[in-house]
Amino acid sequence: MVFSDELKTRRLILVVDDQEINRDLMEMFLSDEYDLLFAENGRQAMELICAHQEMLSIVLLDLMMPVMDGFQVLAAVHEDEALRRIPIIVLTAERSAELRALQMGAADFITKPFDMHEIILARVARIIELSEGRTIIQTAERDALTGLYTGNFFFQYAERFARYHPDCEMDAVVLNIERFHLVNDLYGRDFGDRVLALIGAAIQEQTSETGAIGCRMEADQFCIYIRHSEDYQELLNALQSRLAPVSGNTRIRLRTGVCAKLEGVHDLRGQFDKAKIACDMLRGNYSRNLMYYDMELHHKEVFSEGLVNDIHRAVEQRQFQVYFQPKYAIQGTRPVLRSAEALIRWKHPEYGMISPGAFVPLFEQNGLIQTVDEFVWAETARQIAAWKAEYGFTLPVSVNLSRVDLYDPLLEEKLLDLVERNGLTTHELKLEVTESAYTDDPEQLVARVERLRNLGFEIEMDDFGSGYSSLNMISTLPIDVLKMDMKFIQNVKKGNEKDFRLIELILDIADYLHVPVVAEGVETAEQCEMLRQAGCSLVQGYYFSRPVPPAEFALLIAKEQNERKLEGST
Amino acid sequence: MTVQELYANIGGDYASAKKILMMDKMISRFIVKLLDDKSCGRLLTAGQTMDPVGLFEGAHAMKGVCANLGLMDLSHDASDIAEEFRPGNARRMSDDEVAKRLADIQARYDKTIAGIRAFSEAQG
Repeated sequence: MVFSDELKTRRLILVVDDQEINRDLMEMFLSDEYDLLFAENGRQAMELICAHQEMLSIVLLDLMMPVMDGFQVLAAVHEDEALRRIPIIVLTAERSAELRALQMGAADFITKPFDMHEIILARVARIIELSEGRTIIQTAERDALTGLYTGNFFFQYAERFARYHPDCEMDAVVLNIERFHLVNDLYGRDFGDRVLALIGAAIQEQTSETGAIGCRMEADQFCIYIRHSEDYQELLNALQSRLAPVSGNTRIRLRTGVCAKLEGVHDLRGQFDKAKIACDMLRGNYSRNLMYYDMELHHKEVFSEGLVNDIHRAVEQRQFQVYFQPKYAIQGTRPVLRSAEALIRWKHPEYGMISPGAFVPLFEQNGLIQTVDEFVWAETARQIAAWKAEYGFTLPVSVNLSRVDLYDPLLEEKLLDLVERNGLTTHELKLEVTESAYTDDPEQLVARVERLRNLGFEIEMDDFGSGYSSLNMISTLPIDVLKMDMKFIQNVKKGNEKDFRLIELILDIADYLHVPVVAEGVETAEQCEMLRQAGCSLVQGYYFSRPVPPAEFALLIAKEQNERKLEGST
Repeated sequence: MTVQELYANIGGDYASAKKILMMDKMISRFIVKLLDDKSCGRLLTAGQTMDPVGLFEGAHAMKGVCANLGLMDLSHDASDIAEEFRPGNARRMSDDEVAKRLADIQARYDKTIAGIRAFSEAQG
């Protein structure tokens, strides 16, 4: 084993022999390279072993001694899990004792009369090396928190099993905890670790009963390599039930993905990835906690993979298009076009027009959304400037900032550059930040948003009411506009009286914060009137216009321009 | 007196001692330790009452110590006694024979100790 000089420390050895001359001989042989402790009998030896168990690299143990002999020491060390890792070399003149000592856990033996000291040194060094190597392997093999295998060893053992048992039908099972980051955020990391340890123990128990193996792959992701089963609900229920002691105020919910009947040893990791895809599909689905990877998922995966591969070409070939949806002020004598939201559309050469719902969440997962966002910002800034030049007044447009944008150290620089290059002011380009982004890292996010506001950008909190903002948090957030989530309006459409009350409540909150509200998803005149009467300032939705391409949106601006001219002439 | 001469005088195996202890300096440092070693005394004391446990433990200890110092004859003598009284072994010698062996060991041991003492004094 190779150690760097800094790590190379003198190892500590305990020499146990009742004969002083023998102890002195060992001191002569070993003291140049090792630190030494000495004991005259087994009892003294056990005291020293217990006192120095963390530091001891090896014990050289005579067998025939008064008070407590070497065999008794071997037995006592072997019985103690903490001491068992310390290797013992027995010192003996008895060939007959060697086998018994080895059977009792001795690592090796040194015969008396002693060999040449080089041989003794070499044997001691070799056993220490083997023991330390084994300890390192054991540490790397097991996850310290759960006791389950770590990922690399898990796959090594699984692949070995698959190779030796090609006829065995095996499944890949991946488990995850729903919104585990919230468990950590709300109850602290110690509690989160307790949950993970409980799941680890439960998996350990279940897998040892079935001959399966389990690992903690990362964070809250667990994998099980198990003989094929037609039904995993029972296993999942058993694991879930073990979480009952910690599921007090919070419901800790496991979700499970299964890739059944694995195809041998080939690409085992890929097959676990498929189980994970199935598991991820259950995110946010509270009616199901088990999903199998099947052909439908496979097609979705292939489709998603295709989109990821196509994104750069799509930018180059201008397959992405920016559409604009107007926001109207509704409290005056007529609805006034006040601003717009820029929305991405993808006209794919193979799939046709792809809904943002199909690719935005996908790109958000892998960070590619930044490419799309920056395309939208650039197009939008260019378009605002073009309309301003054409119609003589500014129509501010809001663009979306994704989570990944908010962590981009160059964000302010990029936005200011766009504004400057297009001859705009920061007031003309508004920024939308989704409510749930604020809960990720509130302090950092608030500081970021504050910096953007100080530069003059207006911040709209998107999807308000769909996330987990606390009223306390809302009052401290630096925002200029609340965008009410469209679900509130849609629910009212279904005749839900409580949701109308919720809308009024949100409007009251906005009033308290002195910020206007944009109601999203308004589709009918009744909804618009209801919002107007309730005091809502702005609405956005199909009632006025669906998102439209720039040329079509220009007609809305022209119309607004005419209205203003008419109002000016009367 | 050289270490080699000492070993010749006391019937020791200088080559064995050299193999283990490497240098004359080390051999001379270790051989004088036998003057303080108690294992032979324990063996002979146990022999007075034919105490089998004491005889085995004393002989066993003496066998190991003497072997490491290259005193092979003493080591072999002690080994015979250790095997005679090793727990589980059937006795093969009469007590008289054991007593005679112990007397031989004492004579050889005394001669060895006398030689070592003379060597030690000569070394100053």
